[in-house]
Amino acid sequence: MSLAAALRSRDLDQLPSRRDEAWRWTGLRELIRALPPPSPEAEVAPGGPWAEVACDEHRVVNGRCEPFGGLVRLGPGEASTRRLRFVASPEAGAHAARVQVRVEARADLVLLESYEGLGAGYVAAAELDIEVAEGARLTRLVLAEDAEDAVSASQADVRLAPGARLHQSVIATGARRQRIETRVLHPGQGAEARLDGLYVLGEQRHSDHTTSVEHQGPGGLTRQLIKGVAAGQARGVFQGRIAVAKGADGTDARMGHHALILSEQAEIDAKPELEIFADDVACAHGATVGALDPDQLFYARARGLPETEAKALLTAAFLGEVVERIEPEAAREVARAFVEARLRGLA
Amino acid sequence: MKPMADLATVETIERLSGEKYKHGFITDIATEFAPRGLNEEVVRFISARKAEPEWMLEWRLEAYRRWRAMDEPDWARLEYAPVDYENLYYYAAPKAKAGPKSLDEVDPELLRTYEKLGIPLKEQAVLAGVEGAPRYAVDAVFDSVSVVTTFRDELSKAGVVFMPISEALREHPELVRKYLGSVVPVSDNYFACLNSAVFSDGSFVYVPPGVRCPMELSTYFRINAQGTGQFERTLIVADRGSYVSYLEGCTAPQRDENQLHAAVVELVALEDAEIKYSTVQNWYPGDAETGRGGIYNFVTKRADCREARAKVSWTQVETGSAITWKYPSCVLRGDGSQGEFYSIAITNGRQQADTGTKMIHLGANTRSRIISKGISAGRSSNTYRGLVSAHPKAKGARNFTQCDSLLIGKDCAAHTVPYVEARNGQSVFEHEATTTRLSEDQLFYCRQRGLSSEEAVALLVNGFVRDVLQQLPMEFAVEAQKLVAVSLEGSVG
Repeated sequence: MSLAAALRSRDLDQLPSRRDEAWRWTGLRELIRALPPPSPEAEVAPGGPWAEVACDEHRVVNGRCEPFGGLVRLGPGEASTRRLRFVASPEAGAHAARVQVRVEARADLVLLESYEGLGAGYVAAAELDIEVAEGARLTRLVLAEDAEDAVSASQADVRLAPGARLHQSVIATGARRQRIETRVLHPGQGAEARLDGLYVLGEQRHSDHTTSVEHQGPGGLTRQLIKGVAAGQARGVFQGRIAVAKGADGTDARMGHHALILSEQAEIDAKPELEIFADDVACAHGATVGALDPDQLFYARARGLPETEAKALLTAAFLGEVVERIEPEAAREVARAFVEARLRGLA
Repeated sequence: MKPMADLATVETIERLSGEKYKHGFITDIATEFAPRGLNEEVVRFISARKAEPEWMLEWRLEAYRRWRAMDEPDWARLEYAPVDYENLYYYAAPKAKAGPKSLDEVDPELLRTYEKLGIPLKEQAVLAGVEGAPRYAVDAVFDSVSVVTTFRDELSKAGVVFMPISEALREHPELVRKYLGSVVPVSDNYFACLNSAVFSDGSFVYVPPGVRCPMELSTYFRINAQGTGQFERTLIVADRGSYVSYLEGCTAPQRDENQLHAAVVELVALEDAEIKYSTVQNWYPGDAETGRGGIYNFVTKRADCREARAKVSWTQVETGSAITWKYPSCVLRGDGSQGEFYSIAITNGRQQADTGTKMIHLGANTRSRIISKGISAGRSSNTYRGLVSAHPKAKGARNFTQCDSLLIGKDCAAHTVPYVEARNGQSVFEHEATTTRLSEDQLFYCRQRGLSSEEAVALLVNGFVRDVLQQLPMEFAVEAQKLVAVSLEGSVG
């Protein structure tokens, strides 16, 4: 049951529905009555939102990844930065893509991933199959910039080896329905996962961050910080699950989700879930949803800032915590500018 | 009180009820059971036995028909052998002389538990009319019928109605009809629907406007007969500006087969009214080693803060039952209304609990607070599942949720599944949850000072659940504390 499966088979019954617990806030079966025609072949120029970071680029245009065969691979001990762009061209209809990422032992990959909607009304799915070998590092930075009326879902399945490290930061701006899902198999034994995220939503946009981490062995570390703002009639969804299997003792997992609602009609839905089968663990989650603190707003206005500027300042500071954790620096600056531009768009 | 019902209490209640029978309280007790299984005839039988008005029978039949068309829910994190609904007794009235007559007839394990609790039961003294005994009004429900309600005269002087719901249907049909099913609709869920069709007794409370109920009200439930389901229905209405504190307790003897308990509790709080509802649930949890037997506790509890500034507070200490499926909830409809949920859920042995709450914020400036403490030991599983939602009109809604889980041992599980749905820009929700194990250092410290490992665990766990225990009426807090210790026996070492 996934969007990708429905697009490949062009069978609407394969679409996940609100009745599926994992899709309760992002039901697609209720939404999509007919699929657009399959997307044609298309070309796009190199670049994209990560263009300022100089590196090699892999493009998946309208679901096609022929030029690089759908495989991003770093050999043992290699270090590299790559752009991975999923682009829906102006003619795009419906398409699904599948990409494999292999980071071999002790390699270090910075993957600058983007979802770009140049057209309108497309329905797109991306599946990523990611393996990070022993002692290897993957930094996955995602900018999701889908068209307002598009439906887009990305699902990454990540397998970490002992001692591997995943640092992920997702920045999403929503779509008619947008879902970015990451599922991590975590072996513990020195492996580390960081699953950060940020969403800036306006108009009627919807964005769903879903993550699941399965701690299967002892001594694993997971950190998660998701922050988001919703204005207009937008809807932000966060579903985070941390599971600790029997025997995964010494697991240390922390999850935080904090959201601001900036308008009367915006909505935030959250489900931070812990599932624990081992006793020697330290697991915690915190979730808050609220408006901007009126005291802070008053403070800023008392110092002469107009209300809209004061709000923008406080909102940027709120989201800044996630942006500041992004490495490397060049990518952080791109992310910062991206978020600031989106925030200006809300005002 | 109830968890600690002991033999003497049982006897006292039996004796009192025997006397009542003489006075025609229940005159016809020739039939002990309705026929096994469930069909329209059984529903009619129950209704006839209760001499209910025609509309009530129709209500039940409607529920029965709807229930037939429903599926049992399976979304909870619970695994249990399916209930054979066709093989249960849906109605069982105690015979006048039923009940154990000597210690030999009572399960020794149960007696030992009571002995450990070391409590001369309050209801015993109350029922026996001992001078200076604490003043609780008690409604005792055995299997399917309410056998005795005490202090009724005194309550009626204050205008408070407290009686078995079957009696209320006869004496206050207009009140019952107005509120029954108005909080938990007939077809709300599978178990509530079943209850609507076959509920046999329970308590009805009505507190008139401006009255502060002069004493704690209390119901004691006990499933005695073999192969019975207990389907009680409690309805509490607090009219404008009134206050009532209600306590509910449950026990069941040890049996090899699973017994079903599917209750419905409806609370209605009108303007400025306050209801405090406390539960100490100690149904038989089943065999700790094999998981055989024990109660299936599938309960629907919901409060409707129907008017402005109403307040409902749920406090529960859940230590028993093989399977618990229970989410006492508050619908915060009135502006400025408040809901609270304080819970201790302890699972040990092979118990499974999936419990939590729902706070539905509909009115402006509504507030809610959730404090949940889950403790899993042995090979048990303990899930907190909760929903906090604010609708677009619930401007200024505020929620604070804290769920802490404590794990004792390698083979148990603890889960936290909170849902937050915020649909307006002026509400604030905060949620935090932690899962940890009992600290070795703290245990060591206690043991070094001469406490046995079980005493040390009890001490530490009581510290962990203190925030909730404090919400219980004082006498019950003391009992609950002991109950915590008893239910964790055998969890360490």
